[in-house]
Parts: sequence; structure tokens; C-alpha cells
Amino acid sequence: MQPTAREEIPQGTLDLLILKTLDRLGELHGFQIANAIQACSQDVLQVEEGSLYPALQRMLLKDWLSAEWGKTPENRRARYYQLTREGRKQLARELTRYGRVSEAIGRVLEPA
Amino acid sequence: MRALFRRISYLSNRQRYLDDLESEMRLHRELRLELLARQGVAPDEAALAAQRRFGNTTLLKEDFHNMLTWNLLEDLLKDLRYSLRSLFANPLFASIAVLTLALGIGANTAIFSVINAVLLRGLPVSHPEQLVYLHVEPGQPEGYSNTGNSNSSFSEYVFEQLRTEHQALSAVAAYVPLGVNKIALRVGPIPEEAAVEMVSGDFFSGLGVAASCGRTFNPADEKNHAGVAVLGNAYWNRRFAGDCSVVGKSIYVKGIPLTIIGVAARGFSGVEPSPTDIWIPLQITPALNAWGNQQKGYYEDPSWWCIRLVGRLTPGATLQQAEASLAAVFQRAAYEHLGGKPKPDEQPRKLVLVPARGIGPDGDYYKEPLYYLFAIVGVILLIACGNVAMLLAARSSARQREFGIRLAIGGSQNRLFRQLLAESLLLSGAGAAVGWMFALACSKVLAGWAGMEANLTPDRTVALFTATIMVLIAILFGLAPLLTVRRAAFGLALKNSSANAFQEKSRSRTARFILVAQVALGLVLAVSAGLLTRSLQNLERANLGLKTDGLLVFGLSPQLDAPSDAKAIAFYSGVLNQLRSLPGVLSATLMDNRIGSGWSNNTDALLDGKQPEGKSAAMRWNSVGPDFFSTLGVAVLEGRDFRDSDAANSPKVAIVNETFVKRFLKGHEVLGHLVSYTSKTAFTIVGVVADSKYTGVREDPIPMAYFPFVQVGFVGEMQIELRTAGDPYALLPEVRRAIARSAPDLALLQPMSQRAHDFSITQDLLVSRLSQFFSALAILLVASGLYGTLAYSVSRRTSEFGVRMAIGCERPQLLWMVLREGLLLSALGIAVGLPAAFAFSRYLDSQLYGLRPHDPVTFGVAVVGVLLVCLGAGFMPALRAASIDPIRALRYE
Repeated sequence: MQPTAREEIPQGTLDLLILKTLDRLGELHGFQIANAIQACSQDVLQVEEGSLYPALQRMLLKDWLSAEWGKTPENRRARYYQLTREGRKQLARELTRYGRVSEAIGRVLEPA
Repeated sequence: MRALFRRISYLSNRQRYLDDLESEMRLHRELRLELLARQGVAPDEAALAAQRRFGNTTLLKEDFHNMLTWNLLEDLLKDLRYSLRSLFANPLFASIAVLTLALGIGANTAIFSVINAVLLRGLPVSHPEQLVYLHVEPGQPEGYSNTGNSNSSFSEYVFEQLRTEHQALSAVAAYVPLGVNKIALRVGPIPEEAAVEMVSGDFFSGLGVAASCGRTFNPADEKNHAGVAVLGNAYWNRRFAGDCSVVGKSIYVKGIPLTIIGVAARGFSGVEPSPTDIWIPLQITPALNAWGNQQKGYYEDPSWWCIRLVGRLTPGATLQQAEASLAAVFQRAAYEHLGGKPKPDEQPRKLVLVPARGIGPDGDYYKEPLYYLFAIVGVILLIACGNVAMLLAARSSARQREFGIRLAIGGSQNRLFRQLLAESLLLSGAGAAVGWMFALACSKVLAGWAGMEANLTPDRTVALFTATIMVLIAILFGLAPLLTVRRAAFGLALKNSSANAFQEKSRSRTARFILVAQVALGLVLAVSAGLLTRSLQNLERANLGLKTDGLLVFGLSPQLDAPSDAKAIAFYSGVLNQLRSLPGVLSATLMDNRIGSGWSNNTDALLDGKQPEGKSAAMRWNSVGPDFFSTLGVAVLEGRDFRDSDAANSPKVAIVNETFVKRFLKGHEVLGHLVSYTSKTAFTIVGVVADSKYTGVREDPIPMAYFPFVQVGFVGEMQIELRTAGDPYALLPEVRRAIARSAPDLALLQPMSQRAHDFSITQDLLVSRLSQFFSALAILLVASGLYGTLAYSVSRRTSEFGVRMAIGCERPQLLWMVLREGLLLSALGIAVGLPAAFAFSRYLDSQLYGLRPHDPVTFGVAVVGVLLVCLGAGFMPALRAASIDPIRALRYE
């Protein structure tokens, strides 16, 4: 089987992806978030763990996420992340911004 | 907000956070490994792949750490470290700057700690802001007598009425000294003196003062007039080395045995500025009467107002409310023994509450000189800051190259500015620390020098004050580097230094401006110091009307089992005879009020049975001993001095002064008239003496009458005055031995030479000396600033001078060039300073004695002095400019 070409996540969109994933799927731990993003993008987007965890910490600090220690189905200790109210607001803001930017980029590219 | 908590919690639980992260990432790796295994990848390869995707985990954790800590804080620490290194690299600059700042900050801290102690600080009790002194304006009702300040004295009866009023005051406590001066007492074999106060039973509980050892008083102690005593904390530490076993010991106050039951809490030494050593409950025995009075007991006589009161406002009550709620009670109590209401033409008496702050109402007396000194040290701080600012500016312009390079290789302006700010913070911090130590030493010296009885140790308020100054200075100096950095950013710095000429010019313009301001401020200080010095000279040279050299004065308080005038008179006659026979004593006398102490008897004179006509019949009087005027060296103009033969039962006699004659008996034969202070007895005038000062140097001539103490009666503590052949103090041990032979329990109270007493000008002495010291300091700072600036400019212009010389400029011309610059600046400074000094000196008017605030001599001397100092400061750099070797100078660049 020919593996799909994998792409790095464009700069500045990781936060948006994390927020959206948590918004859709609820409570997840880090590995699940990474997998979910990869799965939803049909293996195109691949989250580097090296940037995932700092991003999660940064978002915790900004109070967009809350975290709690829990057990996985296999009974392993994992930290589960969840959107806060502030996080939901941030998601809305980032979506609008992203929509505007991609639309604009689209307009720039179209005539070519 | 939550982020802040997380950061703080991270700082304290750093390891836990890192462990969490570690375990989270471990789980991730393991899950990834399992996933890869399920997809059929070989275990070794899978491990490598998982690891690869994670990257450098240590770096990750570091990122995490950075995210959670304040980079700012760490940068600041780095900046401080770097600044420290760069300051150490130039120790001369650093030490001059720190010392200059320390002088300025230290002087301010020292004076502020005095202001704090005298005017601002509350008493060391719980909720000091609730404490108030009870005052009566303008004094006790007409027809009543008073001891102490008439504003702060009440009768025992009025106190009993006021203390029942609890609506606005939760407590009213009474206190009254056992004597005008310290009291003779004994704890063991050796007699000593101490300040003793009688207080009401709720004095300590009302003020909220606990006991360090034992207990304080309770209402029963007052009711029973218990023979117990509580020691002041400072006295206890001084006298008994802070040993609690003193509780239970006996103490003999004026020969009466009392038991020590406790020690007051740390820091508490009464509610008056002069510390109290011992408290006893209000007593009823005549031997322990208020103020040592022999005539009337304060419990029996509602006409004698002598007790002081302090109260505590109930929480939330305002001064006005409290005054209003006490007014009716006070009016009723005050006039109850005067027919219930004031005389028709009497000014109404009012109860007033005064917040207990600093050293109380007495603080007003120090207010003016203190604010004056505060202004002076403020000016010194300005001058000091000016000097350091010039130093900093010179330094950073010398470092332009360094800044240029740092910016060129990618340093951010922001960071550079922060680093310079750190440097000025470091300087002002070090200055404040050294200054604080200066201030500690200074305020100790000050307290000793002034004989000011207030605790001057700096407290939290003072620390806050100093910290504020420090921060202000740091910000001020931080602005200068901002400009420097902005300039460096233009990139000029990397070019040849001649391109800096433009910047150099603007820098030296700033320096000139600062210098002119400094000279002006220096002149203001020099003028005010000059005025105060001349005023002090006038005070010292003032004709007192008596010869103070060789006079020894001390108090004695006889301890008699059953006090009576006959016994007291016999006692004093014995003492006088004994002292007269001592070798070295030329003559001996005594008096009721010690001259120069500020105490006096004041009344309306009675001449031939009636008040003399004219605007004022006011007269001061004193009861004195035989040979009074010959001992003090006061000229007898007519008639005679008092003699031993003026006995209690011989014809009553009096002596009056010149002013008395001028005012009441002008053009009349004086001797033979009758004069008195009371309608009960009349005294025949047998002599006229020259005017002499009684209460203090500033006293204007006032009618005085003197009466023999044996004929006035009511003999209590008296002041003995000895005229000695040599040094009065040398005679003191001999006098002590002589007194001990006849009265072993008796201490000499406040012995001193009449000269040392200096007639109440201690404060003038202090203010004038401090003012001299500070203005000398200021001028020194100005001179060093001028010197530094000129020296720096000479060194920067070395090549210019070399060129000038090479093209034929003579050395004297160069000398004059530099000198002229200094002189021009000082002349400009003086021109600005003169009107300022003129305006400022007006505020000194009330403190000056015998000269006007615009005294031309003082102004002239100050101007010439400042000019000379500036000339001196400019001379050295000028000399250096003139001695430049042109060949070397041209190679200088």
C-alpha cells in the first residue's frame, strides 16, 4: 500500500485544530488528540508530538483548556483535556479568522 | 488570573509539573509503540520511530519551563549581574556615584525619621489613631489655678465627670507627674532620680498597653491608692537589665515604700514626649501629691487644674462627635464650683480633642525647624542627583561605541535600555542601602545632640519613604539611558568620535543646566545657614543680665516625714550654709523656678493693694533665697539684695526689676511701695535690680518681682544655684558628698552649669549647626560636580587644546578659557539663586533673633563664599588644560 503523503501542520493552525478536535470529541488525552487530527485529515496532517505538548501547556495557561488526570480503558494514567468556556470563545474567534484568511488566499490564487 | 496562579504554583512545585509532563509524554510514546507494533513494524525500529517523532525531549521540557516562568524576571537578573560587572569594572565611578546618592538619601532618611517620630508616628499601642489628648481652650476657667500647660490641665473633679461619659470615648485615663522634674527615689542603697507619673486605674487597659512582666494597674489599685508601681520598659532595661525578677521588689519614691508589680510592654514609655520611668496609681498622701505641690491636694481642691487626660475614641466616632458629646458634661463639671456658669465677660471654655500623634501637641514647637531641615535635605538630594546624573551621562556618552556595537550585532534597543535601567536601579539601591546606614548613625547622634526625648529609630514608615526615594531616583536615571539608546540607534556611535560633536554638545548643555541649578540651590542653602548662624551668635551674645560663667545649678527635693514649711526652710538653710563653707564655692542661693528652664510664675501685679493702671498689669515672679542677685551677678541698682536676716517672721520684703519700675512706678520713689502676687500679703519693695532673662533668651523685658522663699512659704523642690571659682562641673562630686552627709537619700536633680542650660536655645543651636553642616555638604557636592564636569570636558577636548596651542595659543589663555567657563556657570547660578534665597529666607523670619531675613552681610558673605568655592573647583581642571603637551595631545585621538 502506498502511504499517503504526510504534511506538516501549517504554522499557527495547530491551536485551531486542537480546539476544534476537543470541541467535536469532548475529553481526550494527548495521544488521542494527535490521532484524531491525523484520522480526520485522512492521514494528511500529522501532529508532531514535540509541538503538541507545548501547545497544550500554553493553552492551559491561557485558560482555554482544563486538564484532569484519569485512566485510559487499558487502565493507564493519562491527562485528559477539555474545552473551557474561554476555549470555546477562542475557537469561534479562530474560526472566523481562519475563514477570512483562507477566503482571501483563495481570492489571490484564483485568477492564476 | 488563573495563569498567574499556575505560574506561581509552578514555581513552587516545579518538580511535580515536570514529572506530570514526563509521564504524559511517556504514555504517548508507549501508545505510539503499540500502534506501530500492531501495524507490524519491528520493535527496535518502532522505538526509534516513536522517539524520532518526539524529537529532543529535554529541549521540550526546557520550552515548557520557559513558558511557565517569567522571562522578564530572569532577564532582569541577568541584567543586574551584567550591570554589577560593568560597575565593578569602573570602581571609581561606582563608588563616587553610590556615596553621593548615599549622602543625599541618608540625610533625607535621617531628617524624615525625626519628623516621623516627632510629628507623625502614633503611640506604640493598639489602634493608636483612636487616641486623643483632651485639651481645654483657652485654659482653665477664670478664678482657677493651674500647674503644667494650662491647655492640657484638668481638675480631678472634672476628670471624674468626664470618665463616666462612654458614648464617644471608650476610655478616659488620667496621668500627672509627681513633680516638674525627675523625682528622687531609691531601689537599694543608692539614691537616684526618675520620671514618675501617677495614673488612673484604667490607664494601661484604656491605652491597650500590656505588661512585659507581672501586671499593670486595675481600677482597684486606683480606688485603694495602692502602694504599687509599674516600670517603664526602657527604664527597666536600663536600670534592671531587663530582668523580670524585679517584680515584687520594693522601691522608695520620695522615701515612701512601694512594691513593683510589673513592667510596661516593649516600646511604651508613656504618652508624653519625655519618657516616663515609673507609674504609680493616683495617690492621696500629701507626700505624693501631683507636681510635688505642698499647698493643696489635687483630690480636695477642684480649683486646682493639674491633671492631664488621654482618651480613646470608640471605633467610628469622629473628633467632632466626641467633642459634642462631651461638651455638656464638661461645662457642668468645670463651673460646678464657680456658681454653675462662667463670668459674664469670660471667654467661653471649650473641651477640644487633639489626635495623639508624634510627640503630641509639643510637636508644634519643632514643626517649623523640622520642615526647614526637610527642605534643606531635599535640596541636597536634588544636588546629589544632579551630580550622579552628570556622571551617568558622561559615562554613557563614553560608552556610545559599546552601545553602537551591541545594536549593530543585533542587540535589541529594548534590551539595551533595560540593561541601563538595571544599572541605575543598582546604583540607587546601593545608595539607599548605604544611606540607610548613614541615617541610622545620624539619627542616634541627632537624638543625643538635641536632647530630644523621642525614639528616633527608623520604622516601617521611614523604610517606605526611603524605598520611594530610591525608586524615584532609579526611574529618573532610567530616563537618561533611554535618550542615550535612542541616540546610539542613529548609528553615529560607530563612526569616528568627531562625528559625536553634535551629541557632545547637547550632553554638555544638559550638564550646564544642571550645574547652574546646583549653584543656585547651593547659594540658597548657604544664605539660610548664614542667617541661622548669625542669629545663633546674637542669641549667644544676648545680654542675659546675669553672669552665667561659673554657675552650678541643681534641684533638691527634701524628703520629710511630715512636710511643713518650717522644716523645709530649716532644711534649705542648713544646705545653703553647708554649701557656702565648701572650698571653691563663692556664694550660694536658691530659687523656686529654675531660670532658663522656661517655667515661670505669672500673675497680675498688685501695687499698694490694687492692680496698677495701664494696658497690662502682667508680672512674672519667683521666690528666691538670700544673696540671690550677688550670686547670679545681677546688678542691684537701688536698695539691697535679699539677706539671711529676711526670715519668715521678719517684715515682708520684695525686690523688683527696672522694667517693673518703668511700667508701674515711673517718676516715683520706688523703695517703700508695697507689691504682691496675692491679696493676702503685701511685701515692701527694698531694692531695684537690672533686668535679667528669666524663662529664656528670647524673652522680652517684662516686669518682675522677687520674694524671699521663706516669706512666700509652700516650700517644695527648690533649685540651688552656686557661684564657683573655677569649672562648675569639677565641684559637682564635692557637692554630692556634702549633700549626702546631711540627707543620704537625696539625689541632685538635673545638675548642670547654668551655661550648659544655655537659656533654652538648644533648639536654635541644633538647627543652626545642622544647617551649617548640610549647606557645607551641599556646597561640597556642587563643587565636586563642577570639578567633575570641567575635568571631563577638558579631557574630551584634549586634542582641541593641542591644536589651539599648536597655532599659538598661550597657556594663561587656556587657563582662563576653562576657568571662565566655570565662573560663568557659577555667576549664572548665583544670579538665579539670589532671588530664590531672597524668597526662601522669608520663611526663616520667625526663627531669627536680632537680624532681618534679608540681612545684606549674610547675603554678601554667602555669594562671595560660593564664588570662591566654584573658582577653586574650576582651578584644577583649568591648570590641567594649561599644562597639556601639544604633541601628545594631537596624537590623543
